[in-house]
Amino acid sequence: MKYYIKMVRPYMVWSVLMIVIPMLLIAAYSVTTGGNTLVNIQFTLENFAKFAEPIYVQVFAKSLRIGLITVGICLVLGYTLAYNICRFEERIQSSLILLVTIPMWINTLLRTYAWISILSDNGIINTFLQALGLEPVTMMYTNFAVIIGMVSDFLPFMVIPIHTSLSKIDKSLIEAAQDLGATPFQTFTKVIFKLSIPGVLNGVIVTFLLSISTFVIPKLLGGGQYTLIGNLIENQFISVGNWNFGSALSLILTAVILVAITLMRRLDQEDKEEEL
Amino acid sequence: MKKKKSLPGIVYIVICFLFLYLPIFVTMIFSFNSSKSLTKFSGFSLMWYQELFSDAEIMSAVYVSVTIALLSTVISTVLGTATAIGLSKNKKVIKELIININNIPIMNPDIVTAIGLMILFSSLKIEKGYMTMLLAHISFCTPYVITSVYPKVRSLDPNLANAAMDLGATPWQALYKVILPMIKDGIFAGVLLAFTMSFDDFVISYFVTGNGVKNISIIVYNMTKRTNPTINALSTIVILVIMVLLIIANVVPAVMKKRQKRGTEAEQTIREPA
Amino acid sequence: MKKRLLALMAAAGLSALMLSGCGDSSKATLKVYNAGEYMDTSLLTQFEKEFDCNVVYETFDSNESMYTKILSGESYDVLIPSDYMIERLIKEDYLQKIDWDKIPNSVNLNQDVMGQDFDPDNEYSVPYFYGTVGILYDTTVVDEEDLSEGWELLRNTKYAGDIYMYDSERDSFMIALKALGYSMNTDNTEEIDAAYEWLIEQRDLMSPIYAGDDVIDNMVSGNKSIAVVYSGDAAYIMSENEDLEYYQPAEGTNEWFDCMVIMKDSEQVDLAHEFINFMLDVDNAAANTAEVGYTSPVTEAYEAMLEEDYAGISSYSPDMTNPLNECFRYQTSEIKQYFADLWTKVKAY
Repeated sequence: MKYYIKMVRPYMVWSVLMIVIPMLLIAAYSVTTGGNTLVNIQFTLENFAKFAEPIYVQVFAKSLRIGLITVGICLVLGYTLAYNICRFEERIQSSLILLVTIPMWINTLLRTYAWISILSDNGIINTFLQALGLEPVTMMYTNFAVIIGMVSDFLPFMVIPIHTSLSKIDKSLIEAAQDLGATPFQTFTKVIFKLSIPGVLNGVIVTFLLSISTFVIPKLLGGGQYTLIGNLIENQFISVGNWNFGSALSLILTAVILVAITLMRRLDQEDKEEEL
Repeated sequence: MKKKKSLPGIVYIVICFLFLYLPIFVTMIFSFNSSKSLTKFSGFSLMWYQELFSDAEIMSAVYVSVTIALLSTVISTVLGTATAIGLSKNKKVIKELIININNIPIMNPDIVTAIGLMILFSSLKIEKGYMTMLLAHISFCTPYVITSVYPKVRSLDPNLANAAMDLGATPWQALYKVILPMIKDGIFAGVLLAFTMSFDDFVISYFVTGNGVKNISIIVYNMTKRTNPTINALSTIVILVIMVLLIIANVVPAVMKKRQKRGTEAEQTIREPA
Repeated sequence: MKKRLLALMAAAGLSALMLSGCGDSSKATLKVYNAGEYMDTSLLTQFEKEFDCNVVYETFDSNESMYTKILSGESYDVLIPSDYMIERLIKEDYLQKIDWDKIPNSVNLNQDVMGQDFDPDNEYSVPYFYGTVGILYDTTVVDEEDLSEGWELLRNTKYAGDIYMYDSERDSFMIALKALGYSMNTDNTEEIDAAYEWLIEQRDLMSPIYAGDDVIDNMVSGNKSIAVVYSGDAAYIMSENEDLEYYQPAEGTNEWFDCMVIMKDSEQVDLAHEFINFMLDVDNAAANTAEVGYTSPVTEAYEAMLEEDYAGISSYSPDMTNPLNECFRYQTSEIKQYFADLWTKVKAY
């Protein structure tokens, strides 16, 4: 295998150019002023100081809140779904999991776009409600619409890793627990859930990453006033034209995500150590 | 786990699938609407399909999406597989460095990756368009290929290639005839991932494109301003193609296996009496 | 081994390059950058045929995002921005002078629309569409008497939750500044702060939706009863939904002029002039205005619309006589940044 060591070289060059340098550029922009021109660049921490203004902290807090709610809903729905899928024979299980994956293959924007016609004031749900003689409900441009959009988009990313973990559990362990007199509830919390934690963590990390940084779903389903951290960044680059502040925001977002992921990974490890 | 199917469990699965598939069904149904409305179905018609095929902008977006997805899949699979193979016996420092760098695009939100690439292309004064979109796609697909191939390479017996070479194979032959076939599952997973990631991407393409080059996602994003069922017709076709491909990919191997099994069984039954 | 791999990658890259060069490269290519939903795009196909060229047509969702794109080094031949942005582009030396001799169809232009403050002698800009900003309201819901409140109608709690604002920094501040009796081109930060407070209060009282072009579809299907819209969008919406009426508050509003301009580094100067000339042709201008609903500066096309497609629709001929009406002017980058930050704060909650 030693003959192939040199095969990493193209990618080393590539990854420096296309991964490392862009990150360094973002970092460089975030600590400078002078707009987008390379003249009169000055070092500054202003962009980070600006972030401390209450309004931006609020946007961050809201993104975190909406992200956590989405992850929570995905977790409950996804876990229950994965658990129920696991009760079938393996052949049916794999077809069901295939059914879960198919929506992931279909363009996110197309699916979000469909939610607009389902949820809008004169949309499918409201037409249906009115046909039943009920009052129409405003759903578009609310938290509800944004969360529905995110959950339907990200749910498969939760179901699949959990299902993988669940299906790996050795059945004899469950039988042993039952033989030892554990109630179904105890069997679940003490055995099944514990053993599925790696899958749960994987799912949580991915859905959290996706939901905290999205800007498309809030923009389409939440309207122009619905500002999450992703929208704020997009705005700085696309319409405001303040690349420096936008870069600072991007770095902060990356940092938050890294910290969150590290914490969750540590949780997983502690758990494993406990078992040992 | 216990194989006990409960009725509430089945009902729950059905409800979840309804939720996941509702937007897809709605898209498909309204692609056949005879009016422009996306909320009231007024009658069956194929007019939006006609419109779709005569819409040059959408057709060129389909072309861009498909070719970018194919090219970036091929290139990132080659690049990623080569890297994964080279990585396994490299010095620990280099190995860890590359794996860590490789994790950046996977862990980073799309929007940050997108912005980094946009700034890179602007500072290098590269004209934005098809080429920048392709480079960006290769750049975010390759890490996924590496992460799906590398574990397979690591689990290989390191003596295999050496054995092949002792028997007179050139390193290239050993790679081609011995190593690649053994890691083909990982490569295949990488191909699938890369293709989906590329075909589905909006955020990165949106930031790095220019000169009127648009993929399907960008077209949809622009279209949401004045709704129009042409895009539903397009999604319906995309959905059907993907479903057919997935079913073929899943059913064909199953049928083949069954045939093989039956074949061997038949052989056995023939042999047994003898 | 490595060489082969490199060769393989080079081959793949090469094929990508070839693919990217799709389209007939022997033909001239004209790059046009316009606001979204702002042109009858079949005219582009027609232009391509008539002049044997390719048109690359791109759209933006606000003047600001167009400007950011230009700033990042993107280049086009023809741009269609608004008044204040044209002034900025002229000042920052992005545009070249129009050669009016190459535009014989300019005789069709309505002279009243020409010679606006942002480009007094029309050295750089050729009118494309013009109009005002106003309130589109549902006559079956909104009380006629309430209209006397002017822009304050947008803060009448009777209609809380029933309002679309326009997701545009300058237009939203325009409303607040006009409602307070200030000039919409003020650079007095106290006045701007007061306008910011007005918008924040309105936001908290009314929870409006800050919509972009999706307001068009929403108002056509009657989702809410009040919306801030451009006169041209109002004309299109009113032609689709009869319950609606357009109203310009007496405190004055934004009079705007969108014009075609040619970028300094355009490589297709002649073709760009041909394109502008083509858009001023009476038939083409009529097709364009009929499709998008905006008021045409081509007199004959305008008059034809008053009798045909937009007969009886008030917003197609917006009132441009109110002395309190203003046109947006150039802002220094400090003031621009000041507005941008406040606008982010209005929207983010």
